[in-house]
Amino acid sequence: MSLTRTVFLTEIVKGLALTLRKMFSRPVTVQYPEEKKPLAPGFRGRHALVRDPHTGRERCIGCLRCAKVCPSRCIYIETERDPETRRMVVKRYEIEVLRCVFCGYCEEVCPVNALVLTEFYEYAGESREEVYFDKEKLLQNWDEFIMSQRRPYLNPYWKPRGIPETRLPVFKRKAEGV
Amino acid sequence: MAPKVEIVQRQFGHPEWEEPFVVNMGPQHPSTHGVLRLYLELDGESVVRCDPRIGYLHRGLEKLSENLTYTQAMVLTDRLDYISSAANNVGYCLAVEKLMGLEVPRRARLLRTIVCEMARISSHLLWLATHALDIGAMTVFLYCFRDREWLLDIYEKICGARLTVSYARVGGVRLDFTQEIVDELYRFTEEFPGRITDYETLIDINRIWLKRTKGIAVVPPEKALNMGLTGPSLRGSGIPYDVRKFKPYDAYDEVEFEVPVGKNGDTYDRYRVRMEELRQANRIIRQCLDKLPETEGEPVIAEGAPDLLMPEKKKVPEAAPHPKRGFLIKGAEVPVVPPGEVYVSIEAPKGELGYYIVSDGSGKPWRVRVRAPSFVHISAIPEMIKGHMVADIIAVIGTLDVVLGECDR
Repeated sequence: MSLTRTVFLTEIVKGLALTLRKMFSRPVTVQYPEEKKPLAPGFRGRHALVRDPHTGRERCIGCLRCAKVCPSRCIYIETERDPETRRMVVKRYEIEVLRCVFCGYCEEVCPVNALVLTEFYEYAGESREEVYFDKEKLLQNWDEFIMSQRRPYLNPYWKPRGIPETRLPVFKRKAEGV
Repeated sequence: MAPKVEIVQRQFGHPEWEEPFVVNMGPQHPSTHGVLRLYLELDGESVVRCDPRIGYLHRGLEKLSENLTYTQAMVLTDRLDYISSAANNVGYCLAVEKLMGLEVPRRARLLRTIVCEMARISSHLLWLATHALDIGAMTVFLYCFRDREWLLDIYEKICGARLTVSYARVGGVRLDFTQEIVDELYRFTEEFPGRITDYETLIDINRIWLKRTKGIAVVPPEKALNMGLTGPSLRGSGIPYDVRKFKPYDAYDEVEFEVPVGKNGDTYDRYRVRMEELRQANRIIRQCLDKLPETEGEPVIAEGAPDLLMPEKKKVPEAAPHPKRGFLIKGAEVPVVPPGEVYVSIEAPKGELGYYIVSDGSGKPWRVRVRAPSFVHISAIPEMIKGHMVADIIAVIGTLDVVLGECDR
């Protein structure tokens, strides 16, 4: 370091000039609870079971694919056959959110687009029961979420971009928004 | 240059022998980047002996993978080096693909290269931020996090997660880019070189920075090789070893980039190497983006890639050799992942990240072993720290860029 630099603190003055310049630029800070950043479509947040607009019930057919693909095994499903209509009915559909790793595999493998990780992340609870979602809570999550969305809503993972259609089940191929 | 302290380790029985002063640094120390615990024996303020005690973040990741299918185990690799999870995913998927003999489409390879380099930039930015903060430069920390936030936002647009992305999958990637993401990345690559210049203005010739980094933890090239350093820590010593150049994977053979090397092998040189790598990573992203339109409309997943819900066996329509009788039978079932073993290494931001996978043909890996750069780098800390002061330990931990999630696995 030369003498003039040592005496006149050139590099420090340069740094200070830079920080001074930044004082007049637009701040990047987001005042979180008051203002929120917009979330990207397909953000993997709180789980929800899609309520079918035609039947008013859940879309899930109880095929157990989501429970099988889940790496943390946090989805519990119980099905039974309705004795009158001979149709499969989902009796119990529960997600233990504390174990979930939010990989989004479940919504990707679901053949009828019944499950979705919604663009909502403020659901911290004070007890374990609050973040243990059963079927009613999951459907309620969907109702809360879809109110704030523009219809028709189509999650990117329901029909992943760039995946050839031959790889997708028929329902997913012609999937349109809810 | 920091003054070298001559250490006289007095032997037991020596008239001047006294109990060494023992200090436990960590596991809660903010400068140990996680939960690294260093057992230090001090003589005044200089370090006589340093002994890293690791394992506070052990989650049994390798053992966990043995009970999961190959696609499920990929999710665990996010949690290895949680700062650059996209690079870990790609390494794991490359290993499984090599085992299966899959050919990944070009578009998927380009996309993977882009996310790998994004991971490198975001990892190096976090490294620079915390390293500078530890040494005493607050402003760099804030500027780096501002730019890292931008990259994380792009990640969120790509795949919906910011840190644990799970973007790659066996045979390709999970989602294609949209035009919006490509435009955003173009904007980023336009602006980022100017941001690097900003960081350099602040600390490159700053006298405090120079005094804290020049001549600290000097590693000669031979010693660096012997200690098993890889990545920027090795290149800082002047050895141009880079897996991207020596054994190109994904689209690295299509792009032009330089491998920056240092001269003296001290902390300052490793800092310079990483800063140069930021520029090169930016260049690689730019080149890949330019090549993307050529592959417009291609699928992002290979032809024979397994489903996410990975079956154990798959039916082959044509004849396959029978395991016992030796002749061909029709409509046989073959394992999705054939038995065998494979080792694939990639250039992760921290160094050479290797995956060794043994398959026995049952849809789950029989053994997964991760060669984590941070684990090797931590073993080099006692050697590098010799003859330095306590304050320099912070600089040494910072310069090696260790992440304990990867070290303890």
